[in-house]
Amino acid sequence: MKIVVFISQIVNPQVKLQGVDYFDSSRVNEDDLIINPYGKNAIEGALKLKEILGADVTAVCSKGLKPNKALREAIAMGCDNAIEVADETFYTEDPLILAKIYTNILEKIEEFDLVLLGVEEQSTSSYATAAMLAEKLNLPSVLYAEEIEIQGDKLRVGHVLEGGRKIVEMPMKGIISCSDSQFFIPRYTTMKGILNAKRAEIPIWNAADIGVSASVVGEEAASLKQISLSNIVIEKESFIIKEGEPEEQVDKLLAKLKEDGVKLGV
Amino acid sequence: MKMKALIFLQIREDLVEENTLGILNKLIETNPSIEIHGALLRDQIKSEWVEEAGKHGVKKIHTVKASELEVYLSIPYVKSMLEIIKDIEPNLVIAAGTVYGEDLIPRLAVQHGVSCAERITDITFDSGEIIFHSPVRDDQVMKATKIVGPIKFATTRTGAFFVNENPSGSSPEVTEVSVTFDEDDMVVKHIEIKKAERTVNLKDAKVIVAGGRGVGGKENFQIIKEIAKLLDGEIGATRACTDVHWIEETYEIGQTGQSVSPDLYIGAGISGAPQHMSGIKAKTLIAINTDEGAPIFNYADYGIVGDMHLILPILKKKLEG
Ligand SMILES: Cc1cc2nc3c(=O)[nH]c(=O)nc-3n(C[C@H](O)[C@H](O)[C@H](O)COP(=O)(O)OP(=O)(O)OC[C@H]3O[C@@H](n4cnc5c(N)ncnc54)[C@H](O)[C@@H]3O)c2cc1C
Repeated sequence: MKIVVFISQIVNPQVKLQGVDYFDSSRVNEDDLIINPYGKNAIEGALKLKEILGADVTAVCSKGLKPNKALREAIAMGCDNAIEVADETFYTEDPLILAKIYTNILEKIEEFDLVLLGVEEQSTSSYATAAMLAEKLNLPSVLYAEEIEIQGDKLRVGHVLEGGRKIVEMPMKGIISCSDSQFFIPRYTTMKGILNAKRAEIPIWNAADIGVSASVVGEEAASLKQISLSNIVIEKESFIIKEGEPEEQVDKLLAKLKEDGVKLGV
Repeated sequence: MKMKALIFLQIREDLVEENTLGILNKLIETNPSIEIHGALLRDQIKSEWVEEAGKHGVKKIHTVKASELEVYLSIPYVKSMLEIIKDIEPNLVIAAGTVYGEDLIPRLAVQHGVSCAERITDITFDSGEIIFHSPVRDDQVMKATKIVGPIKFATTRTGAFFVNENPSGSSPEVTEVSVTFDEDDMVVKHIEIKKAERTVNLKDAKVIVAGGRGVGGKENFQIIKEIAKLLDGEIGATRACTDVHWIEETYEIGQTGQSVSPDLYIGAGISGAPQHMSGIKAKTLIAINTDEGAPIFNYADYGIVGDMHLILPILKKKLEG
C-alpha cells in the first residue's frame, strides 16, 4: 500500500504579526513557517496505517516557501519519503489551483492508494482542496475523519457529523481529510527519525516537472479572486489579565467583574 | 438582471437545518429581488420541509427522490445537484457550511471548472457582482473575494446568519427531477450514524463552565464540575474532550454539539475554534488559557492568561468565600 500525505506550511500563529501583516509575505521569514497543524494529523493517520498495513508513506509539500524543513520533520516523524514541489508561479491561495497542483503531482507519482490531507488550513480555514481533489481524480473520499479502521480490503472511517459521528466504508484507494481528534494526535519525532531525516534525499519538482504552467496554476488562472484583506475591528472592549501570580489574577478578575456589575452565578 | 440562487436545503433531524434558513434570510435582506430556488434531495420528501422553505423565501423547489439519497453521500448528492443546476442555470449555488455542505459545494464547483468561496460570514452584491467575505487568521482579518465564472459557489460559516423569526413567504412551486444511480455511485457505503446522546439540555442554561483539551484528563474535569455547581450552572466541553470521553458527549458545545446562549460562559483550556464558538452566544464570556494568542481571547470580555490548573482551584476557593 502506498500512502501520499499532502502537507502545507503556514506562518506560525505565534508570530507577532497581527492582522493583515500576517499575510504580508515580505514580513515573514523562513523560520516562521511551520507545518499546518492539521497536516501533522494527516501524517499521524498515515503512520498509524503504516504500522498496521506496512504501507509506504510519502509526504509532499507544495505550499509555502522552501518546504524542505517541513518535509524533514515529516520524515523525522516516520514518513518514508518526501517530495518538495515548489515553483514561483504556484498560486496556492485558491483551493482549486492547489487541487490542480496535487492532481498533477499524483499523476507523476503514478502509483498510490490512499491520499491524506489535513481538514483545513489553520490560518485561512480553507478546507475545499480535499473534496476538489477527490472530484478531479474521480476517487471516493471522506472529509473530517476522526478515526480510520481497516476492514478487510476496505477502510471504515468515522467522521465528524452535526449531532454525532458517521461511519462509512470506502475502498483503500481514495482521499481522506483528517481532523485533530485523538486518533490523529501527532506523535513526536524520534532519534532514529531525525537521523533518517538528515540523510534523506528529497527531490525537488517544479511546475514543468509535474506538467503545469502559470497559465493553469498561476494567479491569473485562479477563478477565486481576492479583492481585499482588511483588519476586523473588534468593537467590544475586553479585560485580559496577562501578568501576575495566579491569586492576584483571580482577585483582579473578581474585582473587575464586581465593578462592572457582572454577576457570577444565577 | 435578476439574480437566481440555488440553495442546498439540508434536512437535519427531520427539519430544514437552521443555518440553511439563516442563509435565506440573509439573501433576501441583502438582495430583495433575488429569485431563490431550493434543492431537496432525499428518499422521502416531506411537505413540511417544502412549506418551511417556502415560508423562508424559497420560490421554487427542485426535488430528487431516491432511496440512494436517504443519507448524504458525496457522489449521489453531487450527481443530483448537477442535474438541478443544469435545469435552472443559477448565478449562485450556496450551502450552509455543515459537514455535508462543505463536502458538496467544492465538488460542484470543480464540475463547473471554478473554485468556491469558503465559510463566508457575509455576502454583498455590487453592480451585478457577488462579493464573498470570509474571516481568516483567527478572525483578525476579513478576506473579500469574487469568483470569475458564470456560476459562483459558496459555503457559509455555521452560526453566521440568523433565522428570520417572522417569515412571510408562501408555498413554493415544486418540480421533481429524475436522476438514476448505478453501483459506481455508491462506492462509499453508509454504515451507521452514531447519534450523540443528549441527556442534558444546555440550551436554557444561564451559566456554563466549559473545559477544553487544556483540562488534560478525565479526573481534571472535577474542578470544572465543582465551579459549575457553585455558580448554579451547567458544564460544557469542546469536541476534543468528548471525543476522548473525558466528559459525556451530551456536553459538547458548537457546530456539531449543542447551541447555548448563557448569561455567563467561562471557558478554560479552550483554544476558541470557530466550530466551537459558533455554538455560543453568551452575554459575558470569560476565558482562561495559557496562550495569550489563543483565538478565544478575541471573543472574551474578560480573561486570564494563565494555567487553569492553578487558576481554577483559587477561583473555586474564592467563590466558596
Ligand atoms: C466539521 C467539524 C466540526 C466540529 N465541531 C465542533 C463542535 O461542535 N464543538 C467543538 O468544540 N469542536 C468542534 N470541532 C473541533 C474543533 O475544530 C477543534 O478541534 C476543537 O474545538 C478544539 O478543542 P479545544 O479548544 O479543547 O482544543 P485545542 O484547540 O487543542 O486547544 C486547547 C487549548 O488549551 C490551552 N491550554 C493547554 N493547557 C492549558 C492549561 N494548563 N491552562 C489553560 N489553558 C491551557 C492551549 O493553549 C489551547 O489553546 C469540529 C471540527 C470539525 C472538523
